[in-house]
Amino acid sequence: MPELMDPSMPSGLNLVWLVLLLPLAGFLFQAAFGKAIERAFGKSTGRRILGFMAVLPIAAAFVIGCILVSHIANQPENARVAISTWFDWINLQSIHIPFELRVDPLSLTMVLIITGIGALIHLYATGYMADDKDYPRFFTYLNLFIAFMLMLVLGNNLALVFIGWEGVGLCSYLLIGFWYEDIENAKAANKAFIVNRIGDWGMALGMFLIAVVFASSQTLLGGETRYLSFDVILPLAQQVVGEWGGAVVWAIPLLLFIGAVGKSAQFPLYLWLPDAMAGPTPVSALIHAATMVTAGVYLVTRCHVFFEMSAFAMGTVAVIGCFTAIFAATIAWGQYDIKKVLAYSTVSQLGFMFLACGVGAFSTGMFHVTTHAFFKALLFLGAGAVIYAMAHNQDLRNYGGLRKYMKITYGSMLMGWLAICGIPIWAGFWSKDDILGKVFASNEYWHSQGWAINPVILWAIGLATAVLTAAYMTRMFWLTFFSGEERWRNLPEPAHVHHHAQHHEHDDHHDHGHDEHGFFIEYVDEHEDGQDHDHHDLGPSHEPNEVKPAMWFPLVVLAVLSTFGGLILSGGYPVTEVFGAHTTNLFKEWNAVSAQPTVLPAKEMFKVSHSTEAVLILLSIAAGLLGILWNRARYKKGIPQNEDTKLRRLAGSQWGYDNAMVKTFVDIGGKFSDAFYKIFDKGVIDTLFVNGIPWVVASTGKLIRKTQSGFVRAYAMAILIGALAIASYIFYSISR
Amino acid sequence: MNSALAQPAPIPWEALLPLIAVATTGVVAMLIEMIWPRRSNDVIVWVCIVGLAAAAGCVVYHWNLPALESFGPRFDNAQGSVGGGLFLHDRFGQIIQLTLIATAFLTVIFSEGYLREKRLAFGEFYPLVMWAAMGGMIMATSRDLLIVFLGLETLSIALYVLAGLSQKDKRSQESALKYFLLGAFASGFMLYGISLIYGATGTTNVAGIPALFSLELPDPTAVNVAYAGMGLILVGFAFKVALVPFHMWTPDVYQGAPTVVTGFMAAASKVAAFAALIRFLDASMAMKDVWIPILTVLAVITMTVGNLIALAQKDAKRILGYSSIAQAGYILVAIVAWAKAKGMPNLTIGYETVAFYLIAYTVMTLGAFAVLSSAASKGKEGTLLEDLYGMWRRAPFPAAMMIVFMASLAGVPPTGGFFGKLFIFFDAVNANLVWLALILAVNSVISVAYYLKIVQATLRDPEVHPTKFAPVNVGLFATCFLCAIGLFAIVLFIDPLKSWLGG
Repeated sequence: MPELMDPSMPSGLNLVWLVLLLPLAGFLFQAAFGKAIERAFGKSTGRRILGFMAVLPIAAAFVIGCILVSHIANQPENARVAISTWFDWINLQSIHIPFELRVDPLSLTMVLIITGIGALIHLYATGYMADDKDYPRFFTYLNLFIAFMLMLVLGNNLALVFIGWEGVGLCSYLLIGFWYEDIENAKAANKAFIVNRIGDWGMALGMFLIAVVFASSQTLLGGETRYLSFDVILPLAQQVVGEWGGAVVWAIPLLLFIGAVGKSAQFPLYLWLPDAMAGPTPVSALIHAATMVTAGVYLVTRCHVFFEMSAFAMGTVAVIGCFTAIFAATIAWGQYDIKKVLAYSTVSQLGFMFLACGVGAFSTGMFHVTTHAFFKALLFLGAGAVIYAMAHNQDLRNYGGLRKYMKITYGSMLMGWLAICGIPIWAGFWSKDDILGKVFASNEYWHSQGWAINPVILWAIGLATAVLTAAYMTRMFWLTFFSGEERWRNLPEPAHVHHHAQHHEHDDHHDHGHDEHGFFIEYVDEHEDGQDHDHHDLGPSHEPNEVKPAMWFPLVVLAVLSTFGGLILSGGYPVTEVFGAHTTNLFKEWNAVSAQPTVLPAKEMFKVSHSTEAVLILLSIAAGLLGILWNRARYKKGIPQNEDTKLRRLAGSQWGYDNAMVKTFVDIGGKFSDAFYKIFDKGVIDTLFVNGIPWVVASTGKLIRKTQSGFVRAYAMAILIGALAIASYIFYSISR
Repeated sequence: MNSALAQPAPIPWEALLPLIAVATTGVVAMLIEMIWPRRSNDVIVWVCIVGLAAAAGCVVYHWNLPALESFGPRFDNAQGSVGGGLFLHDRFGQIIQLTLIATAFLTVIFSEGYLREKRLAFGEFYPLVMWAAMGGMIMATSRDLLIVFLGLETLSIALYVLAGLSQKDKRSQESALKYFLLGAFASGFMLYGISLIYGATGTTNVAGIPALFSLELPDPTAVNVAYAGMGLILVGFAFKVALVPFHMWTPDVYQGAPTVVTGFMAAASKVAAFAALIRFLDASMAMKDVWIPILTVLAVITMTVGNLIALAQKDAKRILGYSSIAQAGYILVAIVAWAKAKGMPNLTIGYETVAFYLIAYTVMTLGAFAVLSSAASKGKEGTLLEDLYGMWRRAPFPAAMMIVFMASLAGVPPTGGFFGKLFIFFDAVNANLVWLALILAVNSVISVAYYLKIVQATLRDPEVHPTKFAPVNVGLFATCFLCAIGLFAIVLFIDPLKSWLGG
């Protein structure tokens, strides 16, 4: 691809364009040929081809990502940033925005997460969606999502990031509403889209403000007009923004943070994410757990210079993150829907990431993004497998004892569960413990910076959240796989009508079982594969089965990552510190050039003694164990009598927050706009403008038309009058 | 100085070649018509095509001939040297000449079909079109007011005859007579204005005006006389380009004249008159404090009245007549902005906006009338809006083209009409005429209504009597097609036009 080569780049790094273009090609392929291939090769073979073609570009992009990492990792730390420009996208006199990608540890970390976990989830989806009637459409959206997500993390300027930002929002909308025939799904998609607009508003304003501030500081930039490019603004941010001073110092980070709050589902804008679970489960795993929702954390980390300059902005980030973490954890504790538990858990974990960023530990926040991507994708995919096996019943109260029937799913989810609970040596422990430790350690520094809330309080809340996290995850895990009774056997035998919203494909087969293309034979083949379990509804005669290999293989890979990934990446930090051993914290070293604080005294602010460190680690392990033991005891024998308490119901209803929001903004807003429509639109606009102006214009036209009598003498008179008017004006002006 | 007078510079005939080519083509066409009367006109059409192509070739071949401020014989040796030759040669003249040649060319190729359908396939049509075009070309390249007047009359008289081409059609006759009477009346103003200018400056050459005002102590009487002359000449031009209130002949003549003639008239006479007007104004820059307000007022009332009355019309040709009045108003805004900018530092506006809009106007107007001409069939022609009902079904190609031309006239991007208006708008804003720009914008919004009316008519189902549309012949197809392509391709000429005419 010679036109993509940027001669100023080390040649290998130009491969980064392929990373972006491969998923895009995949998207175009699915969009253009999806239906045709399905028709030409028959449903079974066609879908096999399409599934392969969907996974392939993402997997290839992952391989290229790995190659890029190996290129970059060999460089000295400061030389790990490279920029590849393709063409001038917007080139005005006042601002210049090239189409340029940034290759640095931060973007590559995200690339590996997106393509690696993305490829696994694509693979999983080929199984999960196999019977859906809109198979090609699903992968069209999914590939497009990957392309936009890569654009978001690879773009070297805020404008490109914004394209990706809006693009993933669009794909998220399309995929939440994938089963749009159910009005509830369509509503959920709308909610996600609309709530995200608020965040996008902040992001866009932040971007404009940055452009304005930099455009007015010409002297420092020395003629450079790429006011949105990271390689221009990040190194100069301290000088330029410092020169401005005043409100700009905190306005820029807070506006960007509003964007992050929307995209990463933080309080008060989190409420779209639980509804987003209406989408197919692979979507929840990929978009609403592993990648898109971490875009906010990515943005904060990418622009960390702007945040660091304002203690107020940092405090806001930390407090919002911390509050969201505990708030969402309590809500998760009140859910019965397995996907909702995981959704609130995601919101809560994202809160942890922002908490880390808020105290200045950006690298740790990104580390949690990574480990969270491992175990949350695993948990979602596992939940998807359970849902698949349980004929799309998502209620924990209808599960129980599934470990006997789904051994692989159980085994891998066990790893995910241990990881999220924060038990060593599983991945979640390393990142969560690091976050809590950093929050505690930064107490002195932020106290001296005049924070109203001491980080120690945030740390305590974080620790409580850790207990709660272990608690609700254990609840979910036990109700699904253990707890003696097999509650699905108690459900009444369903009538043999297949009207599940998710079972379109099923209906299709019944409607045109013997269709003219002869696909029926293919369909029978699928039956012989033993994949017909979900053609039963949940009930006494239903026996859940282990899912097919395309679905359990990603589970196993993610289980391995969730088990060892954290340990390998962190090199045992901070546990090894306590014992005086110095191992390399791989992730931190790797990310240092992009995520190391530049304004904050990173070296000093996180200093704690080894003994304190040891106590912190023990406390965080204890928190996880406490949560596990408490809920294991509680759910050992199935659902206890006192499960449905008022408190739990209140927590489950998001403490009434969602309702209040809907009441205030949707209902009152609706009434207001209704009244506005009646009074202003119909009353003023319609009468005065829509009907009024044309009436005035037309009547004037008719009036003047009367002068057009058709007589030459009248026309000549008009000319004469005109000439006289001109003559008198001239006479008037020369005699003045 | 005397020696320079004694040995006038040789005349660069290559600059006059296009004029000569067009005139000769007219003569040859007439001779053919005389020698073989009432035969098929195909030979004449071909002669005209070749002649016009040759004329265009002459312009292009001598494209890089250096600009000449004046050449040719001079009338002004009474008192000395101010005037200079009768003609000039520059980019603007070349561009206007090309535009007029193209107008005549497009008219010639699509007219024959219409004339046959209307049963008035007279061979005289072609030489008259040639001479009218020649008259326009003279107006665009002459610097002597008398020669300009001569060009104007050559153009006008040919048009009077063309307007009355349909001898059996009363409205055609009425239109010719009205045009002639009022044209003569307006010519009177113009000629009187020219004589006053001569009285004031001692020459009919426009160069006399700046010379008069550059004197250290100009004779105040002479100055006043010059002002009066300028005003009367403005009246003459205002009639020719149809500014309100000198516009009243336009709808009647446009409606009555055969459609092909209307198209040619609307395009050619406006282009030529505006070209001559802007040259005259350029020479009268010393008097601009007086004429800028006059033109501004004329621009406002022309745009507004033209658009408002167009709304109330029911005949497509009349609508386009009023539309061409409104369009003249827009061009006048460009001229006012150009004149205003002359005195402003840091701002230079050349002829490019005016030239661009004139070209776009020519293309879209000619195209629109070409489409309308297909409504004539077997001796009958209906141009009422309701006659166009069902055009979409029975003549899909012209109907589709109509949408393009209407879109451009209304100023829908990315057509030439849109860019033309956009540049006028920018010029006006740059010249601190924001209010005038806003009036232009409001007017162009109003105009959308009646352009849409025409589009809507072509798309409706016929209610009463379905009109017969003539089958699309090669000439009509070519004209519509070339005009439509031109409307989009014209964007490519923005930069060259700027470099040729800018500042």
